[in-house]
Amino acid sequence: MRNKLLMAVAAGLVASASTAAMAQDQIYGVLMKTLSNPFWGAMEEGVRDGAATIGVEYYLQAVESDQAAEPQLNVCNTMLERDPAVMITAAINSTILLPCLSRATEMGIPVVDLDGNLDHEIAEEAGVDIAFTIGSDNVAAGAQGAEYVVTVLGQDATGPVLVIEGLAGNITGQRRAQGFADRLAELAPGLEIVASLPGDWDRGRAANITNDILTRNPDLVAIFAANDGMALGAVEAAYAAGVGDDIVIVGVDGNSDAVESIQEGRLNASVAQLPYLVGAQAVEFASAVLAGEETPEFIQVPTLVLTQEILEEGSEPMLQYVR
Amino acid sequence: MTTAPDAAPKPRQNRFYFRIESLVVLVVLCIVMTLLSPFFLSTSNILNILLATATIGVLAIGATYVIASAGLDLSLGSVLGLSAVFGAFLVDRLGLPWPFGIVGALFAGFAAGYVNGQLITRLRIPAFIVTLGMLGIARGLALVISSGQAIYGLPSELVYLGQGRPFGIPMPVIIFFLVAVVTHYILAHTKYGKHTLVIGDNEQAARATGIQVERHRRSLYAFSGLMAGIAGLIFMTRVNAGDPTAGLNYELTAITAAIIGGTNLFGGRGSIFGTMIGALIMGVLQNGLNLMAVQSYYQQMAIGAVLIFAVWLDQFNRKVATR
Repeated sequence: MRNKLLMAVAAGLVASASTAAMAQDQIYGVLMKTLSNPFWGAMEEGVRDGAATIGVEYYLQAVESDQAAEPQLNVCNTMLERDPAVMITAAINSTILLPCLSRATEMGIPVVDLDGNLDHEIAEEAGVDIAFTIGSDNVAAGAQGAEYVVTVLGQDATGPVLVIEGLAGNITGQRRAQGFADRLAELAPGLEIVASLPGDWDRGRAANITNDILTRNPDLVAIFAANDGMALGAVEAAYAAGVGDDIVIVGVDGNSDAVESIQEGRLNASVAQLPYLVGAQAVEFASAVLAGEETPEFIQVPTLVLTQEILEEGSEPMLQYVR
Repeated sequence: MTTAPDAAPKPRQNRFYFRIESLVVLVVLCIVMTLLSPFFLSTSNILNILLATATIGVLAIGATYVIASAGLDLSLGSVLGLSAVFGAFLVDRLGLPWPFGIVGALFAGFAAGYVNGQLITRLRIPAFIVTLGMLGIARGLALVISSGQAIYGLPSELVYLGQGRPFGIPMPVIIFFLVAVVTHYILAHTKYGKHTLVIGDNEQAARATGIQVERHRRSLYAFSGLMAGIAGLIFMTRVNAGDPTAGLNYELTAITAAIIGGTNLFGGRGSIFGTMIGALIMGVLQNGLNLMAVQSYYQQMAIGAVLIFAVWLDQFNRKVATR
């Protein structure tokens, strides 16, 4: 009795599922980290506008925080149930989504690496066929941060510098910190990185790190944080310690909080990643892949150093993509 | 606890306890999800739900035993992470043969639980404090062992445990099922299980009947650690990496599953069957909301509401029953 009922329900569902699948043939699956960060919010806007431009539907999911790794894998598996035309994913770390994405590859669903969170070699080994990676060059973003610091302080400047990295083990944060450190050593060898610590993308944690390092190095001249949230945490801690105006603080992302802080003259600069442009272009290139066109393996979306000056002038054409 | 008038332990009545309302909630939830999403009721999606529930489910078994004995283990999630890292460390970094991955993960979990039990019963430090301390120690140790980075790339034999699909069923689901059956049997049908519930119901009475309460408690924490070790093994092999951030905040989810399934937070009552229903309620809820592309924030709210609702149903019914 019960079995019969179940079977009847199941049969009905199979029928409705197949018609639904036909109707939603061109639905794009978009999996982000979390939306509780303006960076991902801006990227979502880009995805929305990009999808509207080319006239496709998309199905966007995210998890509760950018540390919820296994939940993201579970969501990824669930998304495959809807048989999306393409999976555009921003993985929380370079390995977590591989079991899901290799299944996507088996199902013939192209995989797009949003924001460069995957390692192409490891992914290939795991059986994931990445159509393309789109995002900003994080090493270059870090380097631009270093260039800005040197323009302000001068090539002959000396003094201690603090680097606040991302979540320990996160490749994006590592690349930004590395790009910064390498270029700084090249341009102004007198500036010494006295500490490079993981702030776990956490504003409060970054504030604590800043406090701690200020105790040890009260003459800190510059702080580079691998994202804006942490940079803003560092700004608060520096001003609370009364040295806010003496330290050049640079973040990465160019999110709305950071823009506001730069306009107020608190945060010195942010290397804007233009996530809006990344989201919009990801959808456009994905449709090109589905149409059978060739795309480059790595698509770099340029970054822009936002300062009070640039924001006030407002003439920089890329500013329209800053959200 | 609330059945004060007949203070003498009544294990026989408690032993098979699970909350029938939970089962009703689960069934209703499945029907609702089936109606709302055409993708819900398919074999592959049901396997998805079970796969997504496996880690939390095994962890919740540990939580059930400890809570049923009127104890608490807050270190479950961190110990999961430590186990995953330790297993991966032995085979990947030290190059030991693959069985050491299994032994290492289980051993690390067991050892952490063993230490918890010793500290709680011999030094008489409250379980809340000891396991809260272990939450920090195990997580920190996992980060130290792995240098803060996921240890990626396990031997294929180990990966099979997490990604293999004999008869189309994911291995983690099989492990989960076996563990659940064995632990259900122990709790419901053996002297060991009976003693666990008697201690949770009334420690004085348990002592009076000659149960070695301290020794029993020690073994329960070691058992709970072992469950975290199994969960860590599943996590590690599923994502093919020892991720030091694995299992962050899972202890609370595991406790939630146990409580929704009918375990009394103050001890004396609980069954693994009930806990499995509790874990599945959360799994189904999350999966269904994901299929409908509901934002993760609402999912957290929904799970919180179900927790309160399930316990309220129970209280309500018991009030009616005693009238």
